[in-house]
Amino acid sequence: MVTAAPDVRTTEPVGDREPPALRPRRRWWPTPKVVIVAGAVGVVGYLAVVPLYYLIWGTFFDERGFTLDAFSRAYGDRDVGGLIANSLWFSVGAAILALVVGTALAYLQVRTDVPFKALFFAASIIPLIIPGILYTIAWIFLASRDIGLLNKLLEPVLGEGFFNIFSMWGMIWVEGLHLSPIVFLLMVAAFRSMDPSLEESALMCGASRLQVIRRITLPLVRPAVIAGVLIMMVRGLESFEVPTLLGLQNGIYVFTSRIYFILRVYPQDYGAAGALAVGLLVLAVVGVAVSTLASRSGATFQTITGKGFRPRPIQLGRWRPVAGAAILLYFLVTVILPLCVLLYMSLLGYYRAPSAEAFRSMSLDNYRQLAEMNRATTALKNSLLLGVGTATLVMAVMAIAAWIVVRSRIPGRQLVDQLAFLPLVIPGLVLGLALSFVYLRSPLPIYGTLLILLIAYCTRYMPYGIRYSVTSMHQVARELEESAHVSGASWWQTFRRVLLPLLAPGLLAGWVYILVVSFRELSSSILLYSPGNEVLSILIFEQYENGQFTVLSALGVVMVLTLVILVTLAYRLGARIGLRQD
Amino acid sequence: MSTWLAGRSVRVLAAGVVVTLAVSACSSPPTTGNDDQQNGPTAAEQLYAEIGALTGQQRRDRLVELAQEEGALDLYTSMNADVADAVAAEFSDAFDVDVNVYRAGSETVLQRILQEHAANYQGNDVVETNANDMFSLNSESLLGEYAGERRDMVPDAGRFDGWTATRFNLFAPSWNTELVPAGQEPKSWEDLADPKWDGKLSLELSDYDWFLTLYKYWQDNGKTDAEIDQLFSDMATGAKVAQGHTVQGELLSAGEFAVVASNYSYIVQRAKDRGAPVEYLPFVEPVIARPNGIGLMRNAKHPAAALLFADWLLEEGQEVLVDEGLTPAISPGADPLAGVEVIPVDVETLLSSSQEWSDRYEQLLTKGETVSG
Repeated sequence: MVTAAPDVRTTEPVGDREPPALRPRRRWWPTPKVVIVAGAVGVVGYLAVVPLYYLIWGTFFDERGFTLDAFSRAYGDRDVGGLIANSLWFSVGAAILALVVGTALAYLQVRTDVPFKALFFAASIIPLIIPGILYTIAWIFLASRDIGLLNKLLEPVLGEGFFNIFSMWGMIWVEGLHLSPIVFLLMVAAFRSMDPSLEESALMCGASRLQVIRRITLPLVRPAVIAGVLIMMVRGLESFEVPTLLGLQNGIYVFTSRIYFILRVYPQDYGAAGALAVGLLVLAVVGVAVSTLASRSGATFQTITGKGFRPRPIQLGRWRPVAGAAILLYFLVTVILPLCVLLYMSLLGYYRAPSAEAFRSMSLDNYRQLAEMNRATTALKNSLLLGVGTATLVMAVMAIAAWIVVRSRIPGRQLVDQLAFLPLVIPGLVLGLALSFVYLRSPLPIYGTLLILLIAYCTRYMPYGIRYSVTSMHQVARELEESAHVSGASWWQTFRRVLLPLLAPGLLAGWVYILVVSFRELSSSILLYSPGNEVLSILIFEQYENGQFTVLSALGVVMVLTLVILVTLAYRLGARIGLRQD
Repeated sequence: MSTWLAGRSVRVLAAGVVVTLAVSACSSPPTTGNDDQQNGPTAAEQLYAEIGALTGQQRRDRLVELAQEEGALDLYTSMNADVADAVAAEFSDAFDVDVNVYRAGSETVLQRILQEHAANYQGNDVVETNANDMFSLNSESLLGEYAGERRDMVPDAGRFDGWTATRFNLFAPSWNTELVPAGQEPKSWEDLADPKWDGKLSLELSDYDWFLTLYKYWQDNGKTDAEIDQLFSDMATGAKVAQGHTVQGELLSAGEFAVVASNYSYIVQRAKDRGAPVEYLPFVEPVIARPNGIGLMRNAKHPAAALLFADWLLEEGQEVLVDEGLTPAISPGADPLAGVEVIPVDVETLLSSSQEWSDRYEQLLTKGETVSG
């Protein structure tokens, strides 16, 4: 292998440097690599550019030409500074909470002999599945000062109204917990690909556990940490459900409430709303640039190398029961409590505090109503189709895109990273408008079919896909590909038989994430669906509008069950095709 | 090592960029507008005019015959799903015409129609949505004229250029009967300003139409602007702001609020029907009514079905709406609002200065003192 490398250096460059005049003119024929890479770049570019173009055009141009009026309308409000401050405070808080919780759990899960490992799976998926609106409402019923069950339960110990969900802390708590699975999934993939011998050597050299975590472990997973922070900051900034349900009651207004106020009156000022989105866009571009810089020192993070390693769990020793208790507590708080509220609510005619009378009134009426809803089956089928399709397509294309970004030397490769990430800040409604604009005019029969939803979902979830796959790619050392190539493998063979299996944990994590969240996508679906093509999130929205929160809860419970089964199957299948599982 | 990649890589990226540009170039700049709007009556409009002149059974028979030839009806609506489902099923059963329903929030319905129209796409034949959005559609010249006996029966407050009210949403205060003892409930709109509701009253984020109508009503009844501002300011003081009438209704049932200023009566009625401890009767007067209406599309693919649907919704359909707990435009039976003072939302003001009132309402809500808890 060592001797083979110079061969490559001496043969190919010479061929390339040959003066064209001396070489017989050869017709350039695209290799599979060229086709695949160009295809991936084309798909990423197309998906990102269409809505971006629409957004930028609508923001900077009106009938008279270029204008910045939209910005003064959007940011001219006297309180906009306060709104931005609230938004930042909220999103930074939620990001930190999610990061700490998600990372700690992922570390315990992958690297230690902590008990109750089976619970992690549920804890990482269920908060993602429960629609944001239901998760938030469940927390209102748990921790409102006036009607919160936890407050009632703990009143003898903590005094009256100890928890107050209608506060900045409450908002951070709910959003942070709801976001933590993203971090968990990212970090599990990162820790799994990390060679523990580095930590072991540090320990041997006399470093304490904490020192090892701080100086060895965390720096090694820095790309994943940065990706997590990036996603969560943007998500926090554009979050709408939690701030409206929890913030408004006490007059906490955020950046997104401004968008709401702007779009409330006719004619809707899409220019001003776009100007706000452009603000987020700038933030995201800076974020991706910073994360690229921070991950630049490439080899630093490459822990999957040609040398084999066998992750050996760290013995927690006397800390094992403590860690076990912490996990039980986390599981209780993020999964059991909210899910219990949903289950409880789904059995009632309307929400009321638990009492003998409430329990007597319980019935399965809400589930019956759900079963009688004939569109429910169609919607479930469509959602499954779209979820699996989106997750698979996005992760497949993003694996290639990640190779372009991290591995290739193609000039402008960072643009692919930027483009794939930017749709994260495009509001779903703007995306919906952009897509309907294009496909209403396209000769292809896409408008009014499921395909347009597939395109919308792929665009919306591409940013998560790229972060999951780029993060994984950073950890795979170049030498593995090189040896495959030297052994005569083509690019495609190397990609398929060496890279893909090594990337699998990260890709699967991304796949699961996208599958789960695509079940919840509403803001672009609502504009783009057509009769007969309803998806589950539309049904949820309808029940929400009907004020049928009890039926909604029943639907939430059914969704959790469906997706848990689906994801379990995915992991089982993953294990069968040789995916390393602890 | 990178050299085995570098040779063709520039071409690879270039190819990708070309694909991207080529595909995105296919879409023209996202300007909207459709120039064919004012060019004479469309085929659908001719049919509306021709059949609009007929009356009674003759009109119905002719419409049924033509609608069945057309075979389908595309309806866009912001009705709640259960109402829309019931309406579509009844209509379909009665005339053997398939109804395809697109259902979304009113702003989304409006957006969808505007988008489709700008691209000359005939998505719907008929639209049923909120007053604000019906006004917008009419001002974009998308609606055809609907004439007939049923329209003439709708009260003045429900007949507009291009569209006709089918139902009214009633704004009225509601309360939780476990938290508000009998006799303590609000009896006038002014009662809501009482400090006893601080921290217990909920206002809704988007109800500026309610706000401006009540404001004008008080002005007409001799209150000074200063007095009115004071009343609203007292309401907003310590108010808990919610977004969405349904969430507001649900939290009222659960006891998070004791009183809600301006929920729709039908939402409260539905919660009451499910056994929740909520009430809105006797009505605080005047009840403020906001119309929802129906309009026929100028470019309908199934104009006869559209016209038949409008006739039907204003006749047999009104009973379906009553069964679903809504307030119909033409009361089929005894008027449940007999003897109650009802005023319509001030549509003139809403149309001419919605931005101003939206801003004033936003300011009222955001400047309101915050309560802790």
